[in-house]
Amino acid sequence: MLSNLYIMKNLLRDQRTQRGLSQADLAASLGVSRQTVIAIESGRYSPSLPLAFRIAKYFDLTVDEMFVPEEEEK
Amino acid sequence: MRSNKSSRWLAPATVIIGGSIIALAVGIGHEWSKALITEIVTLVLGVGYFILTGRNSDIGAIYGGRADERQHLVYLRASATALRVVLGAAFVCAVISVALNDNYWQSDVIGSVGGVAFLLCLAAYGDNDDSAHD
Repeated sequence: MLSNLYIMKNLLRDQRTQRGLSQADLAASLGVSRQTVIAIESGRYSPSLPLAFRIAKYFDLTVDEMFVPEEEEK
Repeated sequence: MRSNKSSRWLAPATVIIGGSIIALAVGIGHEWSKALITEIVTLVLGVGYFILTGRNSDIGAIYGGRADERQHLVYLRASATALRVVLGAAFVCAVISVALNDNYWQSDVIGSVGGVAFLLCLAAYGDNDDSAHD
C-alpha cells in the first residue's frame, strides 16, 4: 500500500503522557477525532502538514523533532 | 471539518427524501401498497442513519458531517474502492447483456453492489471507538 511508504515514527504518545493528557483531551485541543490521535500514535496514519505543525506547536517542539521518518531511525 | 449539529440530519434526510421519491415512483408505476412498504423501509433506514450519525466512530463522523482529515481520507478511499466495484459490476452486466442479447443492465443491482461495497469499505478502512484506549 502507498500509505505504508510514508509512515513516520512520532513522539506523540510520549509527549501526551508526559503532560498527563488523555487522547480525548488532545483530540479536542487539536480539533480532530480521538480515533485520529490513536491512529497517529500507533503509526497507522501520518498527519497532513498543517496538522503536524499544530501538533508540534502544541507541544513546543519542531515538526522534525516530533516526527521521524522510519528510514532515519534504522 | 468540525460542524454543527444540523449536519447530523443531512444523511438521514437525504435517505428519506431519496427513498420517498423511489416510493412515489413505485406507487405510480406499480402498486401503492408496494409504495407504502418502500416508504416504511425508507423510514427505518432513515432512523438507522440518524443513529449511525450519532455514534463515536469514523462512519458516524463521516455521515454526521464532522469528519476530520483522516476520516475524509477513509471516505475517499472507500469511495474509490466502491467506484471500482461499481465499474466491475457494470462490466459484468454489459457482458451478460451482450452474451444473452438481452437487457441485463440492472441499475438496482449495480447501485446496490456499489452501496454495499462503500459501506463495507468504510467499516474496513475506518476505526470504531471500541478500539480506542488512553
